[in-house]
Formats: sequence, C-alpha cells, structure tokens
Amino acid sequence: MSVLRELSERLQRGQAKEVEALVQQALDEGETPQRILEDGLMQGMGVIGERFKANEVFVPEVLIAARAMHAGIAVLEPHLVSAGVKARGKVVLGTVKGDLHDIGKNLVRMMMEAKGLAVIDLGVDVSAERFVRAATEHDADIVACSALLTTTMTEMRHVVEAAQAQGLRGRVCIMVGGAPVTDAFREAIGADLYAPDASSAADAALAHCAGRAS
Amino acid sequence: MPLTGRDRVLAALRHETPSATPWVPFTGVHVGKLIGVPADALYRDVEALERGLLEAHGLYEPDGMPAMFDLQLEAEALGCELRWSADSPPVVVTHPLARGGAFPAFDAAAARIPMAVDIVARLVACVGHTTAVYALLCGPFTLASHLRGTELFLDLFDDEPYVHDLLAHTTGVALHMADLYAEVGADVVAVVDPLVSQISPAHFEQFLHAPFARLFERLRSRDTPSSFFVCGDATRNLEAMCRTRPDGISIDENVDLAAAKVVTDEHRIALGGNVPLTTVMLFGSQLDNMRCAVDLLAAVDPRGLIVSPGCDMPYDLPVENVIALGQALRRPAAARASLGHAARTDEAITVELPDYAALARPLLEVFTLDSATCAACTYMLRTALGAGERFGSAIDVVEHRFSERENVARCKALGVSTLPSIYLNGELVYASIIPSREALDARIRQALAGA
Repeated sequence: MSVLRELSERLQRGQAKEVEALVQQALDEGETPQRILEDGLMQGMGVIGERFKANEVFVPEVLIAARAMHAGIAVLEPHLVSAGVKARGKVVLGTVKGDLHDIGKNLVRMMMEAKGLAVIDLGVDVSAERFVRAATEHDADIVACSALLTTTMTEMRHVVEAAQAQGLRGRVCIMVGGAPVTDAFREAIGADLYAPDASSAADAALAHCAGRAS
Repeated sequence: MPLTGRDRVLAALRHETPSATPWVPFTGVHVGKLIGVPADALYRDVEALERGLLEAHGLYEPDGMPAMFDLQLEAEALGCELRWSADSPPVVVTHPLARGGAFPAFDAAAARIPMAVDIVARLVACVGHTTAVYALLCGPFTLASHLRGTELFLDLFDDEPYVHDLLAHTTGVALHMADLYAEVGADVVAVVDPLVSQISPAHFEQFLHAPFARLFERLRSRDTPSSFFVCGDATRNLEAMCRTRPDGISIDENVDLAAAKVVTDEHRIALGGNVPLTTVMLFGSQLDNMRCAVDLLAAVDPRGLIVSPGCDMPYDLPVENVIALGQALRRPAAARASLGHAARTDEAITVELPDYAALARPLLEVFTLDSATCAACTYMLRTALGAGERFGSAIDVVEHRFSERENVARCKALGVSTLPSIYLNGELVYASIIPSREALDARIRQALAGA
C-alpha cells in the first residue's frame, strides 16, 4: 500500500499518532507537501465527508477523523508554507447570535478545511455585525451561518441585511445551514447558498470559490 | 362512557387503534406566549406555567401534553450553568466535567427539580382525568454531553470505561427522575435524548442499549407507559431503539414516518411524529397545517400512531396553525372537504361582501374552522355572542364557518388568513387568541361612537 493511501485510511479511522508518523514518512520519502495534503489527508477526510452525508458514519467518527487530520496538518504546515501552498478560498464561519450549538458548525469547519479552504471560525453566538466585520477584515469569499434552533435561524436575515448595508452583497456569498434551515428559508431571507449537511456545505463553498477564481 | 384523549394516547401506546388518532402537541415554552409570559420567566414560575398549560389545554384540546419541555433541568441541578432567553428554553453553557473530575451528585431538591415534579402533579390534578400528562426527563446520553461537552464523542473511542461510568451515573439520575414523575401520577414518562441520532447503531448497542433498557424496564415495573423521544435523522438507530423496549418512540421530520412505522410496528411499539415544525407549523398557513394533518393520517396505519410536532414548539409559533392542525386531526373528513373547497373556490363561488362603509350598525363577524367541534372557535364565538347579548340590537353578530363552502370563498374575498378570528366592520380585530370581554366591549363602544 502506498504511503498516501495508508495515510488516508488511517485518517478515516481517526488514528492521529499513525497519521502524524505517516505524514513525516511521506515527507522523508520525498512526496511534495501539496500531494500529501491533497492525496492523503484531504482525500481521507473527503471519504469521511461522503460517508457522513450518506449516513454511514456519524458525528464521533467525523470528529476523530478531523482530529487525526489536524495532527497530520501540524506536521505538514511548515512545509506547506515554505512550498507556497495557498488556500482555495476563505470562509468566515459561525453560529448565529443567541445560538450556542457548535457541533454542526464545527463539522462544517472540518469539512471545509478538508477541501483546502481557509476558515475563520468566529465560534457561537455571533452577531450579524461580527460576521460582516470579519468578512471585511479577512476579505472573505463566503460568510457561512449556522443555527440549530427555529428561534435563532431568523437571525440569519440580519446577517444578509448587515452585509447589504456594508455594501458586501455581490462580493461576499452568504451561506446558511443547520437542522431547521431549508432552501425555501434561504430564498425568503435573500441568502445565496443553502447546504443540507456539512459535507454539502464544503462542496458548495469550494464550487463557489473555484467559480470566482476562474 | 366515551373515550377520553388520555384513553386514546394510552391505547396507542399499547399499540392498539384508538377511536381517533391522538394529538399530543409538545407545547413547551409556547404556552408562555398564550399568557404573555416570556420563556425565561415561565420556566422559573410554577404558577405562570400552570396558567399557560391550562390555557393551551383549553385552546388546543390535546389528547396528551407535556408539562415541561426543558432538557436542562437535570443538568442545572448537577452544576451546569444555563443561559436564559425570552423566547426559548434555557441552554447549557458550562460543562462541569469538561476537564474531568468527580461526577457531581444528584440532589432531587436542587435547582428547579421540585418545580418540574410539582407542575406534573398540578397538571395531573387539573386535566389528568381527560388528558395524558407527559413528564419529560433528559436521556442519559444527552445529560452526559451536558456534563462533559463534545469531548464525550471522542471519549467513545478514547476512553470506553469512562463513558460507561458516566452513563451509569446519568442513568441513575434518569431513574430517579422517572420514579419522581411516576409517583406524582404522570401518565407517560418520556425519555428525551436528541443526541442519540448522532451516533452509530454500533455505538448505541455498545453504550446505550443497557441504560435505556434499564430505564424502560423500571417504568414498566411501575405500570407507567414510556416513550423514547429523539431528534434529527435517527433512521439508522430506530431498530436499536426499539430493542430497548419503550412503549413508544417519537421522531421528528428528519425521519420518514411511514418507513419508521414499519420498524416500530414490527416491535409493536407506538410511533409519534412528525409534523414539520419549521416549514409547516412555524412558517406555513392554516391550510398547510390542515393539509399536513390529512396527508399524515393517510400515509400510515393508525394502529399505535400518535401525532405530534417533531420537537418542542417554538415560543412564537402561530396559535392558529396549532388550532388548524388539531381540528384537522379531529375531523379529517371535514378538513379534506375544506381543502377541496379552498382549491376550487376561485371558479366555483363568488361571495358578495357587505358594504362595510355603509352598515346600519357595527357588524361583528366571527370566522371559525367550525365552532361545533373546535374549542378555540367555540370560545371565540361565545365571546362574540356574549357581546351580542350585552349590546342587543345595537350591533349584529354572525358566524362564518370555514367548513362551509361559501365561507371558504368569503374568507378569500375578505383576506381572512387566521381562524378563529373576529372582524369588526370588515377589519380584523382579534386573531387566534380570544379577547377578554372588557377588551371586546371597548372596541365595540369605539365603533358605536364612530358610527
């Protein structure tokens, strides 16, 4: 088995120590940091994302895979920087004001990072103003808002309005998601993208950023 | 003696076919809206909560209803800090076991546990003869996550003995709560564990089968029916949940009701669900809610079926939607007919509205689903008729029932979107919530003065 394939499979099983060692081994064997990232770590996390979307693996499996990926990236990061590997896009992410749920938001972050996107995670209970300020500061491509409660999802409308007020519409894409959110709701509040699950959110974000780059 | 709503719920939980499909709205903090009390005051004031529940009971005529829907009660008593808000139940913000440490001891006299038990006892005393009173406790897995935080998910792989120990502790708390609720006469004890949908069937078997089986066995030994509430897409875990032997399972709209019913029917377990809370109850119209009820009843075998929202109802849920849903469940044939009229009304009937600007005296029009069968409509009509008696020939009072074809067209012509409602001289004055006699009389006097 090639080292990159083994890296992907160990990551899918959440074996952080083995992933760390395999990243180092791949570097020692002369693999480029970019190939280790894309064909090893991101490939493995991509498989987990697809299996999560298909309801074949669940939150704990995604969390341990993500932990293994972070362990691998920690080894790889200095080499990525020196090789000049750039993020494929920039996303400002958070759970909306009044909502403290972070599991879904964290899953989205992990899936987006696994697609090579840079994620600025603002945490939970994030006001519309903070979303917009961070999008401006970081020159983000996407503002991604999560909500788990029917009582807090309406806050997403304020994010759209705040982006509009700051003249960001057209420049920054507003993505919404979370258990009670639907595409009809996205349309009603004038947001740009809706994703039904973390893996789809990452796919949609990547497609949006790739579209902008081309 | 005619069957009560309580009889229907208990029959469904025995996996029988009741005379009508029972309706159990998970009213939650929404009862605060009915009496103008915010959620953060409601769930700390047993008197206000009792008033809200009785208001909801009168308005919605449920077959069963939960006393409280607050999964943070036990966590709070175990030392988790809460954040309160005006329009939703509190949420846990700190996890005492996030960095390990000794498991906190449970004290049934701590925090709001006595209030939670008291409100069940009060509800049983007030409505228990006709209505199944549900007492809800926080399931052992969700309670463990309140104490430990999301680290619990990693513990499933990293430290299995720790997870077993923590679950043994939280199961002890759940058993204690189950005993307390059973002792004050709860008709159904529901074990609510939303996080169950987030783990695999293998993890469920490994960690959760024994705790849940033990809980349901305890309730069975006390002759108290049980239900297992889950949120999210629990499709893959339904079979494993059935094997823990609750009397019922309740699911939300993330699970296909018909497919789930096949699984629960095989185990002779009742199934509750799964009116979509957001798209239908929160953002839909009354017609959407009636259609949802009719479709839901048509989709599955009524044996062992209980209709409920997917989860607890948001504070600001439109009252009229709950009324329409309940009415359609109680009178599905009439609801089907009204929906048919609504679909055909454009080409079938035109209605001439009164010339509201030229009325001889104030006209009070009461628009109802059907005042003969819908409690909220009956109260609304009774209030208007009371005004009619007080004001005599100075005003006119008429009822328009949506169950009659002509009135479907009338509603459309006048733009009536909420039933029951009261219009005065063609203007909407009260929707869904029944006005006090004083308030209505003041509006009428105002109209008389202006006439």
